[in-house]
Amino acid sequence: MADATLVTMTIAELAPRIKARDISPVELTEAALAQAERLQPRLNTFITFLPEQARVQAKEQEAALMRGDYRGPLHGIPIGIKDNIATAGIRSTVGSKVLADHVPTEDAHVVSLCKAAGAIMLGKENLEEFAAGSTSNNLHYGAVHNPWNLDHIPGGSSGGGGANVAACVTFASIGTDLGGSVRGPANFCGVVGMKQTFGRVSQRGLMVTSFNGDHIAPMTRSVRDSALMLQAIAGYDPLDPSTVPVPVPDFTALLGQDLRGLKMGIPRDYYFDIIDPEVNAAVRQAIAALQALGVEAREVALPSMQYVGAIRMAAMADSIVTHEPYLRTHRDDYGPTVLYRTLAGQFVLGRDYSKAMKVQRFIKEEYARVLQGVDFLVTPSSPVAAWRIDADTITLEGKTYPVRGPGSGVTARCTSPSNATGLPAMSIPCGFTTGGLPIGLQLIGRPFDEARLFQVAHGYEAVSPSRGRRPAIVGAA
Amino acid sequence: MIPNDTLQAMIRAYDGFALTEAEMALVRPELETYCAELEKLRELDLSDILSSRLLRVQEGGQS
Repeated sequence: MADATLVTMTIAELAPRIKARDISPVELTEAALAQAERLQPRLNTFITFLPEQARVQAKEQEAALMRGDYRGPLHGIPIGIKDNIATAGIRSTVGSKVLADHVPTEDAHVVSLCKAAGAIMLGKENLEEFAAGSTSNNLHYGAVHNPWNLDHIPGGSSGGGGANVAACVTFASIGTDLGGSVRGPANFCGVVGMKQTFGRVSQRGLMVTSFNGDHIAPMTRSVRDSALMLQAIAGYDPLDPSTVPVPVPDFTALLGQDLRGLKMGIPRDYYFDIIDPEVNAAVRQAIAALQALGVEAREVALPSMQYVGAIRMAAMADSIVTHEPYLRTHRDDYGPTVLYRTLAGQFVLGRDYSKAMKVQRFIKEEYARVLQGVDFLVTPSSPVAAWRIDADTITLEGKTYPVRGPGSGVTARCTSPSNATGLPAMSIPCGFTTGGLPIGLQLIGRPFDEARLFQVAHGYEAVSPSRGRRPAIVGAA
Repeated sequence: MIPNDTLQAMIRAYDGFALTEAEMALVRPELETYCAELEKLRELDLSDILSSRLLRVQEGGQS
């Protein structure tokens, strides 16, 4: 089989063939490394590329396979890891100059789980400085480029991972999502991004910049692959008190089941208030497609969303506490956007932090009530498709918004509420702009009901206008 | 708007990170966002959140 064909396969397609020894982990890794080497100069997706380590891991996985030690669907699958997730003996910069030489001594829990499942790590992926933004235009390590149009951003902060998955460099990438940093790149790069319920996956080994709502989560090329990845990394971690000791179900169990009888809620508040017309049209078409599949649509009210911006107050305070030790010793190594946003956090009063927590609870209760009446919510993943890397602002409905720093929250306005609620939410491709840039549909579910979201997303994926489409760069010579 | 003098006094009193006047201008947009969000909450009654609510029969199903 030609290498070009190998890299475009999904994990679900590869796994049985690896198990049957029809495709070898070494052959697959070489194909992925060749794709990475070809595209890194154009996409800039890796901060630390690890070809030699990947080859060693591939040989180990091949040997394991030969002795009958098959470890499951990730066995021999090349993946990427965002560079704010700790990897033993490999520098983990968090996209910063401050931690440019930081080499953890232990793997993050999810990295250990991926290794145990037989996955092969191609490298540490580029991101926004300290994962604080939605462009992945990194001051220190260079901008990540969108595989669909190299002049455009891939989204952030897990932009390297989103671009790698879309460009068929990795079969999955592990990112992190504090305000949409997995679902955003998934949206902008036309792949699947799942932010599972808060507490489903361990955060141990992640440099958490807010104590409230950060998640390690997967990006993949298909819904089934997303379920397989979450299966590998989900579960209670006794060393991470933020994880919840609930059973981990089979996330693929509902895939392929009929969607008839399910109820979806379409928020009349907030999510569709600021939106690009092309994105709105694509999302409305996706909603119509779900209805055609038998899903009942209901409009739902979420009036508390007018206060969702208050949660940013808590994030400001969290950020200054996270950065305090580095600011004392490496202040000059910060980029100005992160530095001055972070320093503003020193003025947040404890009273206001507590109020933000009450607002968060207020919003969570409202979602809980709404999700008693519907099985899931449908929203855009982003109000806009990927903008140009050199853009300082975007314009929506005649109003201009910055894309970095204060006021740039509009770019993540559809994703960040699910970090506050902790509810599972995923972005799946639902079409393209006339300029050929991907558009995403977001599904939001009940707590720990990821299997239902996978069922719906899988059903929709089969009829999505994005189905089967890849960036031209994937196959370019 | 919180005057720069007040912010500088907070930094001194709470052992914060020093900011020049020029840097104060760079911090201010984020601070203005913070104040604007607070202003939105002025009329919001949060007294019923996490305040004996679970004792209500209709919410927990038990008294």
